[in-house]
Amino acid sequence: MRLSRAGPLPIAVLWALPLLAALATVLVMAASHESLIGFVAQPQVNGGILLAVWTGTASTLIALTFAVAIAMTLHGTRFWQHVPLITGAALALPHLAFAIGFGLLIMPSGVVARVLVGGDAPPQWVTTQDQYGLSLIAVLVLKEVPFLLLMLWNTMAQGDAAQRFAAEVKAARSLGHGMGSVWIRVLLPQVLRRTLWPAVIVWVYGVTVVDLALVIGPTQPPTIGAVIWSNLNDADAGINSRGVAGAVVIVAVVVAAAVFAWIGGKMAGPAWRASMTRGPSPLPVSRASGHILTAALLLIYAAVLAVLVLLSFTPRWPYPSLFEGGLSLAPWQRLEASPVVLSIGLALVTSLAAVAMVVLWFESVRQSGDRLLLGLAIAALALPPLTVAAGQYQLFLRVGLTGTHAGLFLVHLTPVLAYAFIVLSGPYRSFDDRISATARSLGASQLRSWCQVKAPLLKAPLLTSLAVGFSVGLVQFVPAQLIAAGRFSTLPMEAVTLSSGGNRSLTAAYALALALPALAAFALSAFFSRPRWR
Amino acid sequence: MALELMNIGITLHGVALIGPFSLNVAAGEIVTIMGPSGCGKSSLLAYVAGDIGSPLGGTGRVMIGGEDVSRLPLERRNIGRLFQDDLLFPHMTVAENLMFGVPRGPRAEREAMVQTGLRRIGMEDFGNRPPHTLSGGQRARVSLMRALLAKPRAVLLDEPFNKFDAGLRRQMRGYVYAHLAERRVPGLLVSHEIADAPSGGRVLTIRNGELQDA
Repeated sequence: MRLSRAGPLPIAVLWALPLLAALATVLVMAASHESLIGFVAQPQVNGGILLAVWTGTASTLIALTFAVAIAMTLHGTRFWQHVPLITGAALALPHLAFAIGFGLLIMPSGVVARVLVGGDAPPQWVTTQDQYGLSLIAVLVLKEVPFLLLMLWNTMAQGDAAQRFAAEVKAARSLGHGMGSVWIRVLLPQVLRRTLWPAVIVWVYGVTVVDLALVIGPTQPPTIGAVIWSNLNDADAGINSRGVAGAVVIVAVVVAAAVFAWIGGKMAGPAWRASMTRGPSPLPVSRASGHILTAALLLIYAAVLAVLVLLSFTPRWPYPSLFEGGLSLAPWQRLEASPVVLSIGLALVTSLAAVAMVVLWFESVRQSGDRLLLGLAIAALALPPLTVAAGQYQLFLRVGLTGTHAGLFLVHLTPVLAYAFIVLSGPYRSFDDRISATARSLGASQLRSWCQVKAPLLKAPLLTSLAVGFSVGLVQFVPAQLIAAGRFSTLPMEAVTLSSGGNRSLTAAYALALALPALAAFALSAFFSRPRWR
Repeated sequence: MALELMNIGITLHGVALIGPFSLNVAAGEIVTIMGPSGCGKSSLLAYVAGDIGSPLGGTGRVMIGGEDVSRLPLERRNIGRLFQDDLLFPHMTVAENLMFGVPRGPRAEREAMVQTGLRRIGMEDFGNRPPHTLSGGQRARVSLMRALLAKPRAVLLDEPFNKFDAGLRRQMRGYVYAHLAERRVPGLLVSHEIADAPSGGRVLTIRNGELQDA
């Protein structure tokens, strides 16, 4: 039995068409002069744009610097091979849950103030929602370092690249360059070029993020993402259309900033090239700073998880006590079942569907056709999620899909399928098809050959893409809130709403309810990925 | 300037693989070391270069021109290396690859050295070309000149001709040996092919962990 010759059909109908139609819809709607002028005339827009570009750019540059510093320290040591495991665990903790936990650490009445300051009342600190977006930058940096580190590792440690880079290091050192100089002049120029798209995705996410901005970002003014979000959620149709216009303005902002960055890169190019050939330099790599950075990162993640667990069992948390009143299940008992079930169900269904659709694509389309899907996947991830979601919302309103399970499934599928494809394409396409051909020559059907030979051999990437898809599906806030249209509630929606209230224990419980399924998915994927024939 | 190896021993998981032995390579001389796969030829070169890593280990002193470099890191030993692969940096042009190893100094002087180097290998018009546009032989010549422009005090040749066909192999051998002899740089060559050894040069073989005359 052939798996399918119609592999591209489900992807075209359920993923590409809604995505492209949504983008077309948002563009057409934003063309309205009035909405555009109405949006730009809002007093918070200019400041919001500056703040968003500042927080997104600063967080991306700092995260990239930290990721490179850690890679420089770990590369060539026995810890280097454990990078996927360490970063996988950090990545499994959703951004939103991390932001809530980090906020509980650094807020004026948070853990840090209780430990370091004490006193009768919380200090007059502005540690969250500060006007410069520093707390938002901190959360973005802490969450993006593991992702960028994993991307660097992917570039440097897989296939022939590991040997090639190791040999280049030897060659460069034998020409008189210290390890620091080798990294700056030989490795980084090659590695950063290959991690450009992940860095762009991180940057666009940082500039346009909504849920983190609502939880820990500045409020006077808020970032542009939060302004657009407020417009999109307004009951007034006129203000609502301003939000749609804003969703296009934010693309223009991102493109303009990218063009500036590109021009800056071109201008700095000659000086940078000259610096590459300035001659041998004994510059070493400071291993100590990398180790300190890694330890600090692990410590913060552990502290965030610990504070979430502690507070989710502590209904009363009076200042300045670190722990008072005993443990209680009360916050967990107040957790509503429907958002939990809906979020986990949506994540499960979309990740399974996405992986199945991507596998069907690989089995029925030649590798050269992947470029089309890659382009669409990059569009789905590198375009502001707000823009895609605003388009989907307007489109689904017209076809009656808002407030339906089908609508929720489709908007969750947009990012999930993109990630599933990106995670799976490398391992799947590099699979030695002669193995499948051998199974077929022994009389197995295509389906049997896939189930009994190919799938077991590709178990690890298949499970990883399922876990990644599951956690991506679990944390969708913007599209879920828009398409749910008040009829459904998901975990991210509950967590964001609660984070602006005073019930810290219930917020922590919801944040953990968001984090635990994602962590479990990654743990299960890692456990079942172990090859059993070795 | 001679290369002296004194009481050199190479171990694998703490078990002796080669030596101890001592060897003097005179200025401009190239000594060929042969032996079966896995006997430790490349590990010996890695130890001399300062690049040996677990589970391998090494003991003994590496002296260049009377200076003990055994405790110096790889980049401060000033020992050039040529590998099986040319290892040109793909993000740099040919001229930038050559400039990479030229010792620091006035830029104009360094650029002149690169131009002279390009002329010496017959590639004066190739300076702005990226490495991937060159043939295998051209890349090998650039790689050799890059190592020589760094003004090494000794050169280690780790089967650098293995990937060439017979004609190119002969041509590259003549090329490398002529350059090293002209600059009076001592060299250690590791190879499987006796034909790779310079004519009239010393050839040693590793047998049962001992370095013997072939």
